[in-house]
Amino acid sequence: MKMSTVVRTTTKMVSPFLVTYAAYLMLYGHVSPGGGFQGGVILAVAVILLITSHGYGKVRRRFHFNWASLIESSAGALLVLLGIAGLAFGAFYSNFLPTEGGIILPFNVIVGLEVGAAFTFVFYILLRWVESD
Amino acid sequence: MIPLMAALPLLTAFLVVFLDVLKVKRTAIKGVFLLGALLPVPVVLLNWPGSEVVGGWAREAGIEVALTGTNLPFIAGELVLFIFVALYSLYYFDFRDKKTPKVLALLLLLHAGLMGAFIARDFFNFYIYMEIASVSAFALVAFSDEKGSKRAAFRYLMLSLLASYLFVFAMGIIYMETGYLNVELIGKNTVPGRELNTALALAFTSLLLKAGIFPLHSWLPDAHSSAPTPVSAVLSGAVVKAPAYGMILLLSALPSGETFRAAAMGVAVASIFFGIAGALLQRDAKRLLAYHTISQMGYVLLGVGSLNFTGAAYYAMAHSIFKGGLFLAVGSLGRESRKLGEFGYSNAPVMALSVLALSLAIGGIGPLVGAYGKELLYESLSGPWKLAVPLGSIGTLTSFAKLNHHLKRGEAPGMPAAWKLSSLGLALAALLTGVYLGAGVNPRDVLYLSSALLLFALLKRLGVLGWSPRAGPREIGRDVNVLTAVFVMVTIVMILLQGV
Repeated sequence: MKMSTVVRTTTKMVSPFLVTYAAYLMLYGHVSPGGGFQGGVILAVAVILLITSHGYGKVRRRFHFNWASLIESSAGALLVLLGIAGLAFGAFYSNFLPTEGGIILPFNVIVGLEVGAAFTFVFYILLRWVESD
Repeated sequence: MIPLMAALPLLTAFLVVFLDVLKVKRTAIKGVFLLGALLPVPVVLLNWPGSEVVGGWAREAGIEVALTGTNLPFIAGELVLFIFVALYSLYYFDFRDKKTPKVLALLLLLHAGLMGAFIARDFFNFYIYMEIASVSAFALVAFSDEKGSKRAAFRYLMLSLLASYLFVFAMGIIYMETGYLNVELIGKNTVPGRELNTALALAFTSLLLKAGIFPLHSWLPDAHSSAPTPVSAVLSGAVVKAPAYGMILLLSALPSGETFRAAAMGVAVASIFFGIAGALLQRDAKRLLAYHTISQMGYVLLGVGSLNFTGAAYYAMAHSIFKGGLFLAVGSLGRESRKLGEFGYSNAPVMALSVLALSLAIGGIGPLVGAYGKELLYESLSGPWKLAVPLGSIGTLTSFAKLNHHLKRGEAPGMPAAWKLSSLGLALAALLTGVYLGAGVNPRDVLYLSSALLLFALLKRLGVLGWSPRAGPREIGRDVNVLTAVFVMVTIVMILLQGV
């Protein structure tokens, strides 16, 4: 299922900027509005835009189904490991980094990857029923 | 260290999916799964008793988790059950199927959710973890190949989520009124008023639905009987206990009215006898056990309603052990056909022993674990409420006399040794826990048993057991609507009673 040239060109142009914006939201979530979840959703939207304009099959060849699953499960495991790492400093999820915001920054990045991968994953699975090309 | 109880199963759940994507060997996945089931045990042993706040924050700002005398029985029951279920699952699910690792990951998520819900001393945290457990449960029910499992899962999902939304709405009211979500801090900051009364009744009723108490039970028999056998065991044994723990938290935090508690106990007694009556009329073995879950949850609610939290917790532990064991044993025997009379244990002495021991345990016969829980409940009740416990015992034993009467004649299909081991292990756990807690042999038990057998013979003579409730395909939308209407009515009645 492909859309017209206009739509495809526009989404190709917009998508990299969306990914950049998602990265910004994840990295500055602890000092400005935004955060991991919001960044992750926008990350997923970048992929979903490409899927809707270029068709499911083409995007899947570039960004494989297993990649989404891999990023999702490893980010989930990392999130728990971040909490367990805090145990060495006194408590589960204790804030042990001396930087501004401490572990909130890595936390946000991991949550962003988790949410982005999970949303993409869900979209892939739903599209399996809609499209069969 | 206490938060690790929920964190470690969660970590292993993600690891199972991770290893599955990387296509590693099956044994590694199985090993990680078993590890996830076992890991909370050392955490409990190292940290009991204690309480801590996640992240080392102040109590007002953080999430408190604790291991106390009230929640330790819940945790112990869940752990014993889940370890045997994990063992059983490894030989139950077909590992050539691509879906199986996902089922294992969901089971671990269920485990993590239950662990997190049982250690929570904070309402919002409790809600989140109960939801993790519930959502995994919907998916696991829908995984079954049986006809009607998708329908059952859908009905379970709709009603359970409706109850969850009302619960979180009630939490919002409590937070608005007291300014805290921590159970103890709420208890210190309550101002008696209509808002808190409404919130308590609303939250309590939504937990009643999630615990499958009559008259809000109708999603339960279908969901619990059409799930795969190990999942049924966890659903009946542990998932319905999380709401019961929530009720304990609610009643220990907020002041509840005398009439409201009496109403809760009335519903509990109705639930006990309705479950037994429903079970006596069933032809399907797993449905019979599911109806007994409704009846046994009535006992737990009786303990909660009489503010006897220890009794309720110990009974919940007992129920986890024997109901999980019964589901595993009967589910393995009835693998080919679950219709009563078409299968049995006449050629499987180990299974016969397990089923008989677990049937006595569920009837509250000493020295098995059920007797200790029933004794604790019986002690704290007053006046005519006391009668509910022995009468319920007689009814339960009658129903299990029927089950064993049918099982005695049938032939068992062949099964892996691990299945026998799980059933026998839970039967032994029921016996050993009972002996350890000091449930003695009571001369009254003989009276209960004999009257139950007499009652069974009488009912059989009268032909009552031949009746079967009409079970045709029902319109699912109408079903959900009817149950929602009942739920709303019960909620309104409870809110009005709490205001009295």
